[in-house]
Amino acid sequence: MNDIIIYKNAIKNSMHYALEKNKNSIIYGIGVTDYIGIFGTTEGLEQEFGSDRVFDTPISEDAMTGFAVGASLGGLYPIHIHIRADFLLLTMNQLINSAAKYRYTYGGLFQTPMLIRAVIGRSWGQGAQHSQSLQSLFAHIPGLTVIMPSSAEAAEKCYKYAVMHYKNPVISFEHRLLYDYKFNKNSSLIDQNNPFDSYLVEEGNDITIVASSIMVQEAIKASDYISKYENISIEIIDINSVSHPNQTLILNSIRKTGKLIVADTSWLSHGLGAEISRMILETDVTLLKKPMKNLGMAQATCPTAKKLEYEFYPNLKDLVVSIYDLHFGTLKGKKIPSEEEIVYQYKYFKGPF
Amino acid sequence: MQLYEKLFYEALKIRLLEEKIIEVYPEDKVESPVHLSIGQEHHIVSIMEPLTNKDIVFTTYRSHAVYLAKGGDLKLMLAELYGKQSGISKGKSGSMHLCSPEHGMMGSSAIVGAIYSHSIGMAYAQKIDTSTNNITLCITGEGATEEGVFCETLNFASLKQLPIIYIIENNGLAINIPIEVRQSYTIEKLAKAYNIEYHSYEDSFDMLTINNKFSKLVTDMKKSPRPIIIEIHTYRYLEHVGISMDYDKGYRTLNEYEAWYKRDPLVLNETLIKRYKNKIIKDIDDAINFAENSPSSFKDELLTDVY
Repeated sequence: MNDIIIYKNAIKNSMHYALEKNKNSIIYGIGVTDYIGIFGTTEGLEQEFGSDRVFDTPISEDAMTGFAVGASLGGLYPIHIHIRADFLLLTMNQLINSAAKYRYTYGGLFQTPMLIRAVIGRSWGQGAQHSQSLQSLFAHIPGLTVIMPSSAEAAEKCYKYAVMHYKNPVISFEHRLLYDYKFNKNSSLIDQNNPFDSYLVEEGNDITIVASSIMVQEAIKASDYISKYENISIEIIDINSVSHPNQTLILNSIRKTGKLIVADTSWLSHGLGAEISRMILETDVTLLKKPMKNLGMAQATCPTAKKLEYEFYPNLKDLVVSIYDLHFGTLKGKKIPSEEEIVYQYKYFKGPF
Repeated sequence: MQLYEKLFYEALKIRLLEEKIIEVYPEDKVESPVHLSIGQEHHIVSIMEPLTNKDIVFTTYRSHAVYLAKGGDLKLMLAELYGKQSGISKGKSGSMHLCSPEHGMMGSSAIVGAIYSHSIGMAYAQKIDTSTNNITLCITGEGATEEGVFCETLNFASLKQLPIIYIIENNGLAINIPIEVRQSYTIEKLAKAYNIEYHSYEDSFDMLTINNKFSKLVTDMKKSPRPIIIEIHTYRYLEHVGISMDYDKGYRTLNEYEAWYKRDPLVLNETLIKRYKNKIIKDIDDAINFAENSPSSFKDELLTDVY
């Protein structure tokens, strides 16, 4: 058991580390000091570090994001947390017009380091405004760094690095369903010197999967599932930083396999798949041996009804089918995950959050 | 120099600089919009005077007066307006985003309401640093108070008793729209609703009175930190953006302007104008020469300071 760490505890460790090691850091947001404590990730921090450094705020996302810009200019390191990423839409003026632009516009005279944590909801009927994956909106903007830690190791190492070394605004999307996932404490996939970098999760020769956030874990599951029945060698890359992906790593993998699946948590149009396509098409149009597969949410608002919600999100079956199709060109005689196997992880997830 | 002369000198410097910009603008050496401060210089120098370089100021795109009054350098500013490598921000910010961090001027935003929130963040940093008693000033027009973030920050500033002064320059205009068309409230009543101390300075031309009242407030605030709103009644002589008068456009009258202009000390006080004009003009000309003779922003600046 000592070798296991769950995602939310890794985040909690990094928050504690931030307050302990960076004396200028502050943590705030709606619900930071309540009894839920952002699903446990800020629990007990106010008691240990005081209300000046860890505090709840009025329901004023716009002002409290501009607050981060001013506090950062004043020498603090703000960590602003949103229990649902959808509320980031109220902060876009500050993030895009101010935080992203301060360094460049003033010719490098200022810097506005900060960390914005935002939780993507899924399952238990999160619906239209509690489920959005908005990474592409922010990754589009020069001056913002957008990350999506897919594991306990990624979350802890990225946050510790952000708090101690990184001098730019970082927006991190955490997937709610990852919070209780168990990870190997001793995992060392992340580059210590550049923790935001995209990295290899599994090495393989037949198919490349470039994935973000929880889709990395889905890809690992798909790979494990298929390995029981077929001999397909799958390479999985965690994009990790959506705004600053490692193009060399990704293109080298595609050059090797010639077959690509992009698995993102968001809508397909103008998204991660579109961005990887741009990388390929601007580099070498002959890299792909087959048309790429692009997995993400259906092009609709997230519905609440469970039946529709299952359809809305890509799942294990979609990944397995995509892999078979790319590798064999057929599903004939292939073992496909049952409904029970697909929904297993969601079945035991209950609200209200 | 007497206090009044000192304030007058600083205000005259701003006026003469703005007039120089009007003069050179048709030559297209400043290839960007300018929002001139003419008519609104007096109160700005009066409120900047008691501040230290550690007292922080945020303001809007109409930033020339604040920049100079807070201690900004003429040469760096003109080089910035001319798009030169030697400018404040290497030509990347232009007229709308002047700053001078060493003097505590931490930026100017064209999204006017944004700075309310930057100011509460800065004031919070100042408050929790108990080793100092610095304060933050946030200077906007009355139009910016119509943005929702204004009320959000009033709430937070009051809740945490932050050392922040909101300066509301009420010139009755937001771009070309008069206040009657826009506002259902008074700043005074809003301040009261959020339990924030409110002061009104009725005449922005009265530099000594403003300086006197404001200096006392600053001294007091440094002893007992709290948010304060000061509304200053003032008048914008020129069009919202650009170098011309716009009294022929029908949204305001020349009479309105003349009522202010005929009281304007920067026009009336011939003794002080005579005493300082030549020196200031020389400084401005030197700065213009510096800007003209500086190299344009270097090409590799395009991707410098991008993370």
